[in-house]
Amino acid sequence: MTGGPIALRVNGVERRASDVPASERLLDTLRWRFDLKGTKEGCRTGGCGACTVLVDGESTLSCLTLTHEVDGRAVATIEAGGESPTMERVRAAFVAEGALQCGYCTPGFVVALTGLLEERGRAASRDEMLEALAGNLCRCTGYAAIGRAVERLRAEAP
Amino acid sequence: MTPASETAGRPDARAKLHGAVRYGTDLESPGMLWGALVPAPRPSGAVRRLDLSAARALPGVVAIGPDDLDRLLPPAYRSAERPLFAAASIDYGFQPIAAVAAPTRAAARAAAEAVRATVDPAPVVADVESIFPDWPGPEAVGSPHVAAHVHAVRGDVDAAFRDADRVVRETYRTASVHQVALEPHACLARVDGDRWTVRTSTQSPFGTREDLATMLGLPESAIEVAGTWVGGGFGGKGAPLLEPYALLLARASGRPVRLALDYAEEFRLGRTTLPAVVRMETAVRDGTISGRRVRLLLDVGAALPGRDFATGYSIGFLLGPYRTPTFEVEGFGVRTHKPPFGPHRAPFAPQCAFVVESHLDHVAREVGLDPEAFRAAHLWREGEATPLGQPVGPFGLAAAFERARATARAWRAAAPPGHGVGVAGGFWSTGTGAGGELRLRLAPSEVVLEVGEREIGSGSVVAGLRAVAVRVLGLPADRIRVESLGTAEAPFDSGVFGSRTVAVLGRAIEAAAAELRSILAARLGAGGPVEFGIDGERIHVRADPAGGRIDRPLADLLTPDERGEGGVVVVGKHYGRGGTIDESLVRAGTFYGYTDFTGAAHVAEVAVDRATGAVRVVRYTAFQDVGTLVDPPAARAQVEGGIAMGLGTALTEEAIWSDDGRLLNPGLLDYRIPTFGEVPPIEVEFLEGFPGAGPFGAKGLGEPPIIPVPAAIALAVREACGAHATELPVTAERTARALKLL
Repeated sequence: MTGGPIALRVNGVERRASDVPASERLLDTLRWRFDLKGTKEGCRTGGCGACTVLVDGESTLSCLTLTHEVDGRAVATIEAGGESPTMERVRAAFVAEGALQCGYCTPGFVVALTGLLEERGRAASRDEMLEALAGNLCRCTGYAAIGRAVERLRAEAP
Repeated sequence: MTPASETAGRPDARAKLHGAVRYGTDLESPGMLWGALVPAPRPSGAVRRLDLSAARALPGVVAIGPDDLDRLLPPAYRSAERPLFAAASIDYGFQPIAAVAAPTRAAARAAAEAVRATVDPAPVVADVESIFPDWPGPEAVGSPHVAAHVHAVRGDVDAAFRDADRVVRETYRTASVHQVALEPHACLARVDGDRWTVRTSTQSPFGTREDLATMLGLPESAIEVAGTWVGGGFGGKGAPLLEPYALLLARASGRPVRLALDYAEEFRLGRTTLPAVVRMETAVRDGTISGRRVRLLLDVGAALPGRDFATGYSIGFLLGPYRTPTFEVEGFGVRTHKPPFGPHRAPFAPQCAFVVESHLDHVAREVGLDPEAFRAAHLWREGEATPLGQPVGPFGLAAAFERARATARAWRAAAPPGHGVGVAGGFWSTGTGAGGELRLRLAPSEVVLEVGEREIGSGSVVAGLRAVAVRVLGLPADRIRVESLGTAEAPFDSGVFGSRTVAVLGRAIEAAAAELRSILAARLGAGGPVEFGIDGERIHVRADPAGGRIDRPLADLLTPDERGEGGVVVVGKHYGRGGTIDESLVRAGTFYGYTDFTGAAHVAEVAVDRATGAVRVVRYTAFQDVGTLVDPPAARAQVEGGIAMGLGTALTEEAIWSDDGRLLNPGLLDYRIPTFGEVPPIEVEFLEGFPGAGPFGAKGLGEPPIIPVPAAIALAVREACGAHATELPVTAERTARALKLL
C-alpha cells in the first residue's frame, strides 16, 4: 500500500485528503487533518480504547487502523450529531447517571456502546454490553456509574 | 440542606459527551512545531559527548542541549538545583539530555533519534535493597544514597519489647504504581519577547509557574501558565514535567511548540509511587499493643538530597490510626536511578495501610485474639493524641470500622467455600494547609466563581465549588458558573491536590459571600442579614429589617464601576494551618503534621481460585467519614473510582525495573489496571457528624477512598485461602507461591 488520496464519510460528511502517507493512522487523520479532536489519543497501542470509532458501524481502534485501510468507508466519532440517535441515547444515559469524570475515556465508551446498540438493538444483553466495553479503560469512575448507564440503556431499550 | 437534585449533574457532561472539550493532548496552534525529548541512553553515568549536528541537519529541526541554555535563558537558571538537561550526571533512566522540535510529529521523533550521545557509564542503583542489603546503619545517614532520614521515638521502646508477652516481626514489600491518567502529559508553549506562556494539562497552574520560574531563572511575572481540561491527574500532573522543555524549544525556534509524551514515555518519566520495604515489630502485653518499631526504606528515585518530602510525610501512616504508647519509627528515603518519587492519589498511604492492617491482623492471630476486634480496640478516638502527639479531632473511623465489622459478619454468614472477607481501616488528612483564593462575581443574572485551576475530572472545580456556592448563597445551581483563568488573571490558589479543593476554596466562597453580604447590607440600609433570590432572570437582594421587607434587583444596587465590571467582585481567601506534631519526639529529619483527620473502613469479599491463585473481588462496601456531604453523587463517584484504583494497587499494578534500571513494562498491556469486568459491585455509605475544616464541616474525599483497599482485599484473600500476603500487589503468582502451587 502506498500513500495518496483518501475519502471518508465522517459523521455523514464527505471528507477528503490528497496526500495521506501509507503509514498514517486513522486516529491522526481524524484529529490533525479533520480537526475532530473528540477522538482521544491514549496509549496509541490498542490498550486503552480511548480512540474507539465506528467504521461502517463496527467498533474500531483508530490508533491501530491505517487510514488507507478504511478508504471509502463511513466513520462515526463522538462528534456525531443528529444522524446518530443511538449515540444521543447513550449520551443521555451517561448524563443521567453521571457516568463520566475527566471525560478522556468517555468518547471511546460512548462510541463502543453506540456500535453495539446499533448492531443488536433491544437484544443487547448486559453481558454483551460489558463485553463491548472490555477494551475500554477508565481510571476515574471505577466503571460503576458507567455500569448504571448500561443498566439504564437496557431498561429504556426502544 | 440543599436537595441533591439542585446540585446533581455535572455542568461539563454535555460538552465531554460531544467531544467538545480540549485537553492538553489536543493543543494546536498555527505554525507550531512538534517537540520531543531526547532521553539519556542509560539511567546513570555522564554524558561525555552530545552531538546534535545530525538532528539539526534535518529540515526544519531545532535541537537544543545543555550548551544552548546560556543563550536561551537568563543566568539565574544555573542556580536551579537540578540541571534542565543531564550532562555531568545522569540521575535516572530517560532523563532528558536534549530536546528537539520539528514541523511534524514523525519528524520530531526522527530528529530525537538522530541525536548522538556518548555516555561514560556508572553503576546503576536499581533498587533500595541492592544498596542496603542489610538494614542501613548509622553510616547511611549523610550517605549520597540517602535523600532523607527521619527518626522519632516515644517512651522506653526497649523496655516495652523486653517486657512483652509476645513480639511479632514481619517484613513487607510494596510495588511502584503509576497514576495511569489516560491523558498523557502534554503542553503548548510560546515565547513572545520576554513573555513566556504555556498552556498545559496541570493540576496546579500556580505551583507550575513557581517551579518554572526557578528552573528557567525567570521572574514569575514573566511566565503565564494556563490550564487545559485535564484528562485525569491523580497527583501526576501537579508539577512541571514537559513545560520547561516546551518553553525552551519555543524560545529557540521562535514558534509555538507542542510537547506531549507518548504512553511509554508517560510510564518512564512520570513521577509516582516507588517501591518500599517496611519492617514491622510489635510488642503485645495483656492483649494490648505495648510498643512498636517501624522501619521504612522508601525508594525515592532521583530525589535531590534534602528534598524528599515523601519519607517524612508517609511514615506517620505506618503507625496507623492505632494507639501506640511507645514506639520507634525510622525511615530512609533512598536514592535510586528511577525518576523522583511523586504523588499518586493519597501518596503511599494505601501501601502503608496495607502494611499496618495486615501486620496488626497478623499480630492478633499470633496472640490468639480476634484480628478485627484487636484493631478496633486500638483505634484512635476523638480527644486523644496520635502517637506523634497530634490532637485527634472529630474522626469517624471507629464508627466506620464498627459498621464494616457488622457488614463482614453478615457476608461471612453467607459466603460460599473459597470466599473470604476482609475488613480494613485507613486514615487521611485533608490538605487544608495549602491555602488559596477565588474571585466571586455577583452579576445581575448569574454568579461566576473565577479560579486558577481547571477541572481534573473529580468534579471538585466545576461541580463541587458550585455546590458549595448553592448552599452558601441560596441561589440555584443553574445560576452559578465556575470559570477557570490563567495565572495572569486568576487569584492565587495552590491547585487541585490533597483532597483540598472543595475544603479550601469552599471556605474561600464562604468568606467571599460574607463580604458580599456586608457590602450589600450597607447598600440596602438593612443592617441585618441579606439573602439572595431569583425573580425571573434577575438576581434579587433581600432583607427583613425591623422597618419592613426590602427586595431589590441586584442590578439596581450596582455602582457605575461595578456595572462596567459586570457585577460586585469580591475575593475570598482561605489560608488554613497545617498540623503540628510533638517535636520533642523527633531525633532526626522532618515529620509533617496532618491537618484534618478523615477515616474510612472498607469490607471486601473475594474468591480465590485454588488452582491458579487468581483473586476475584466479589463485592465491596465502603464506610466513609466525609464530615458533611456537599455533593452526594460526586462524593459517591469519588469513592467508587478510588476503590477501583485501589483494586489495581491491590492485585495487578506493578511497575517493574530490571537490575540495570530499565522499566520493563511501560505500557497498558503489561502494566494492568482494572477493567470493567474486574470491578465488583460497590456500595458506599457516608458517615456524617464528624465535622472537618471545610465548608459546613466537609472533609476532602478525593484521596481517602483508595487508602483501605489493598489491605481489605489482602485480608480477604488470607481468609479465603490462608495465604498471608506481605507483598503488593497480591498477584495470582504470589498467591500461588504462598499456596505452594508453584
